[in-house]
Parts: sequence; structure tokens; C-alpha cells
Amino acid sequence: MTDVMIEFRDVCKRYGTLVANDHLSLAIRKGELMTLLGPSGCGKTTALRCLTGYIRPDEGRIFIDGQDITDVPTHQRELGMVFQNFALFPHMTVQDNVGFPLMIRSLSTTERAERVAQALRLVRLEGYESHYPRQLSGGQQQRVGLARALVYRPKVLLLDEPLSNLDAKLREEMRFEIKEVVTRLEITAVYVTHDQAEALALSDRVAIMNRGRLEQVGTPEEIYEHPRSRFVAEFIGLSNFLEGHVQAVDGDIMVVSVGGLQMRIPALPNAGQGQRVLLFLRPNEVELLRPDDPGGANVFDAQVEKATYLGDTMDYRLTFGQDMTLRVQSDAQRRFGQGAPVRIRFPRVRCWAMTSG
Amino acid sequence: MRLARAYGRAMWDARLILAYTLLLSLTLFILAPFLMIALRSVGKGWFGRLWLPPQLTLDWYRWAVEVGNIPEVMKNTLIIGVIAVAVSTAIGIFAGWAFGRRQMPGKEVLMAIILLPRMIPPITYALGVAKIFYTLELVDTYLGVALAHVSVCAPYAILVLSATFEGLDERVLEAAGVCGANTVKRFFYVVLPLIMPGILASMIFSFTHSYNEFTLTLLTYGPHTVTLPVRTYLAVGDGYWEITSAMAMLMVVPSLLILAVIQRRAKPEKLVGGFKGV
Repeated sequence: MTDVMIEFRDVCKRYGTLVANDHLSLAIRKGELMTLLGPSGCGKTTALRCLTGYIRPDEGRIFIDGQDITDVPTHQRELGMVFQNFALFPHMTVQDNVGFPLMIRSLSTTERAERVAQALRLVRLEGYESHYPRQLSGGQQQRVGLARALVYRPKVLLLDEPLSNLDAKLREEMRFEIKEVVTRLEITAVYVTHDQAEALALSDRVAIMNRGRLEQVGTPEEIYEHPRSRFVAEFIGLSNFLEGHVQAVDGDIMVVSVGGLQMRIPALPNAGQGQRVLLFLRPNEVELLRPDDPGGANVFDAQVEKATYLGDTMDYRLTFGQDMTLRVQSDAQRRFGQGAPVRIRFPRVRCWAMTSG
Repeated sequence: MRLARAYGRAMWDARLILAYTLLLSLTLFILAPFLMIALRSVGKGWFGRLWLPPQLTLDWYRWAVEVGNIPEVMKNTLIIGVIAVAVSTAIGIFAGWAFGRRQMPGKEVLMAIILLPRMIPPITYALGVAKIFYTLELVDTYLGVALAHVSVCAPYAILVLSATFEGLDERVLEAAGVCGANTVKRFFYVVLPLIMPGILASMIFSFTHSYNEFTLTLLTYGPHTVTLPVRTYLAVGDGYWEITSAMAMLMVVPSLLILAVIQRRAKPEKLVGGFKGV
């Protein structure tokens, strides 16, 4: 238990009939950057606000560093937070904004100045001490926000969609900057976002939320490579889904009938004949072959319905089997035109058993 | 062709002259009473059909100060004004916070009721106030007259401060909390500085309304609480036009001072919104 910094234990929060957090249980390790990822309304912001104390959960407890803080008021929780709209104090200079948490803690003026300078150096904003927030660009304002959150070395850093109000290029830049600062300070961080690219790039672990529940918790790789549900697979990256049913099981291989075609894929544990399954393929995990290439296992004829040139890749929509469509992305070196016949091979197919009905 | 162009230009010039004449007349029409009083307050022997007073003098001002007891009256007016401003702004802060920050049912109805004293005829409202104040023995006290003024000053303070509180960013307050500030520190270090412009605006509005208030004062004043507008009105009754004019002119001075300060230092319409984030 010693390496756990934050723990949600069975946290529930309801708004009328809407359940924002449904028995949320999650442990965040010390020094880890955990992302709460999900579409809007999935409860990630509610979870974060339970952590700040802005919202009190209806049920369950929240622990920070082993201490039950469910009923500790916000200002005693020793948190640092970065806000989506920056939430700087508009009537204070950068110096006073960053120094605010230190002033509240009655640090001496000299120590305050020293630590503010340190924090501003950390976010590369030296020389802006006497500026007011409105005189700074969005990126600079968010750096002030980061400095303010870190200046008193909180145990936990919370980031609430900190990059959403910035433009695309700056967002990518700031992403690395945040990652670097958090890694360097070895601080535990909780990062809330709806942007899957951000989550994959930044996180040590990602917690994907959907309708108030945790769908999956894991490293970015685990989540991308082994999504545990259709929701996760759809939310992270591009995906194709095909429905089928098991025709036969042969040792650790099973034959699945999909849209009139037979595919041989690794067998699911305790899969039986007639079991309905959902196949899942990433668009870049489909091999495109010439129509005269030799056939074989999991090789099918298909036709290009639509081809889109994306620069380094080609994006195809293919039709194959009985009314099945497939999105495929491949190297732009070898191109197929619209209507061209192709062959496709599935070197790797993942699948889940579907509950009948 | 040239003739046509010359005709056109002449028409244009004529139109311009006409517009200026009309504007100037209108300005004169509006300013006339004021100019009239200004002239009368310094004129001597101005009777009959003379266009301008034959002699200029400051005697009327001396009379106004000595006989009209203007310093005492001015003191009353200012004390009442200060009390009215303090009470209205205090009410404005609390009510504005409630109106601006809270989602409550019946908000519009409540606001309408608060604005009521401004909507119904002042004399009707003043009669009710007077009736109550006689019972409570508040008539002819600074507090009484000031409270009567509050009924018209407070609605402005509430309106102004509601807008200010509405403009306050919830996230900024949350940020202050996360930074370690408790409710009291949050109020003094963050909320108060952010609503200060709104408070100033509400104080200016309240003061000018209290200073100019006539009807409510007329029904609640007594020998010890004569204010400038009432004193001036009473002087008219005494029939001394010149002294009354001097009083009226003296009354304008503080108004002009406030106007000058507002124009220089701050625009009230900008103060209302308070500090904006970006």
C-alpha cells in the first residue's frame, strides 16, 4: 500500500438520476502520471473535482498518501491544479499569481521570491514577473498556471484539460513540456482529457471512463494493443469491427464465419460452436495485396470503394464478403485506385465473445 | 454642368448650416434654464426685459451661505449621502452575490420587486415611507432620511453588483481554494479585489442618487435634516430668486466634481463588469 498516492475507494456521485461516478475504484501510484480519459459526460471531471474537494462524493472514500481526505476542505488538501481556462488571478501580476500559494502559507518575502523565480525558471517564463495575465498569450498563461500549481511542491498535481484552450501546434509543444516537468519533479499527477492522442503521449497509465464507470486501466500500450471492450477500442485509435460466429474450434485455433467468409483466428478460452464474436482490426493491421498474389489463410478478395490520399498514407474503404466494409490505411508507395480489385490479408485479428442477444 | 455642381454644393452647404443651427438651438433650449439660473445668481438689478443683468455681484452667494445656512445643509446632505451609500453598497454586495452567483427559483420576480421603488411614482412610495417613519420616529434623523434614500439607491447598487458577481469566474475562486486559501482569505485576496470596480461604480451611483433625491427627502426631513435640494426648494417659496439661484448653483458644484472624477479616472459602464479574465 505504501506506493499508492491516491486512492478512490468505491466512489459514487449522482446528480438526480444521472450517475456521474458509479462505484469508482482506482489506485494511482506515487510519481505516476495517470490520465482519466473519456468522452464528455463520462465522469472524469467529477472524479477530479471529488479529488479537489469541490464536489463531495455521495458514497465511498478518497485517500491521498494514506490519509482519508473525503471530508477535508479543499484548502487543506495540499494540491496543485492547472485549469482548462487557466483560472489565473486577473488582478495580480505573474509574480503574485505564482506566489499566491506561498503567501497563503505565510512564507517570508525572500523565500517566496526565490521559489517563484525557481518555478518560473521551470516553465521558462523568467522576465515576465511583472506582467498581468491578460498581457500573456494562452500558452504563457498556462505556463503561469503550471508554475502556480507546482510552486509549493504539492503531493499531487491535477490537470483539468490543460491544453484544450490552446491551438494545435502549441498543444503538442506544451504536452512534452508538461511531461518533462512532471517527470523531473517526480510528482504524482492526475490528468483529465478527452483527447486520446494526448493521453497516449503523456501517461504512465490511462484510465478510460465511460458513463461513470472505469472501462480499462493500463499503460498506453496495453490500452491500444489489448483493448478490453469495444468502447475502448473505438475510443483509442481507429478500428474496424466485424460480427461473426464460431463455426469450429480446432485446438487453439477457431474458425469464425464472418459475412460469408471463414477466418482462422486464435481461439478464445472456452469458446464453443455457435458462440457469437466481435472481431476487431486496426486499419494499419490489414495487409493489402495485388489481386494476382497467391491466396492462403485469412486472405480474401476485396474491392476499393474509396481511396483517399493522406500524404504519407493512403486511406481506403474496401468492400468484401457479403456487404462488409473495412477501413484500411497503408503506405502511400503502392496505391490502388477507386474500384480496383485487391486482396487483403489479416495477419492479426483480435476478438471478444459477445453475450448472446 | 458646372452650374449643376455649384448648385449641389450650395445645397450641401445649406443642409450643413441647417443641421448646425438646429443642433445649436436644441443645445440652447436644453441649457437655457441652467444659463438663466447661472446668470441670475450673479446678476444685480436684473428686472424687466433686459437681455443681460446690468451689474454682476457675488452677494447672493454670501446671502445663501449666511442666511440660507448652506454649510450646515451641505453637511446634512453629505452625512445622509454617506450613510445611504454605505447601507446601499452593503445591501448590494450581499444581494448582488445572491443574484449573480446563485441559481435560485423566482430570481426575476425578486429582482422586479427590488426595482419597484424606482418604477412606481416617487410621491406614492414616499408617502408610504413617511407614514412608516412617523410611527417609528425616524423622521428628521440622519438615519431615517438616509434609509429613505436607500430605497432608491440600493436597487442601483444591486443591479450593478449583480452584474459584477456574474462576471466573476467560478474557476478562479476554485483555483484560490486549491492554492490553500480558506473562505475568508479567498474573499479578501481574490473576490474583493475583483469586485472592487463594481463596488466603486455602485457607490458613485448611490451617492448621486442620494444627493439629488428630492421627493423622499421632502416627506421625511425635519429642521435638523434639511438637504440641499429641499433647502433650495424652500427658498423658492420664500420668494428670493437670486438667493435661490445661488443655492442651486452651489448645489451643482459637487455634481460637477463627481462627473469630472468619473470622466478622468473611470468609466462607470466599464466598472460594472468588474475585472475580466483574459
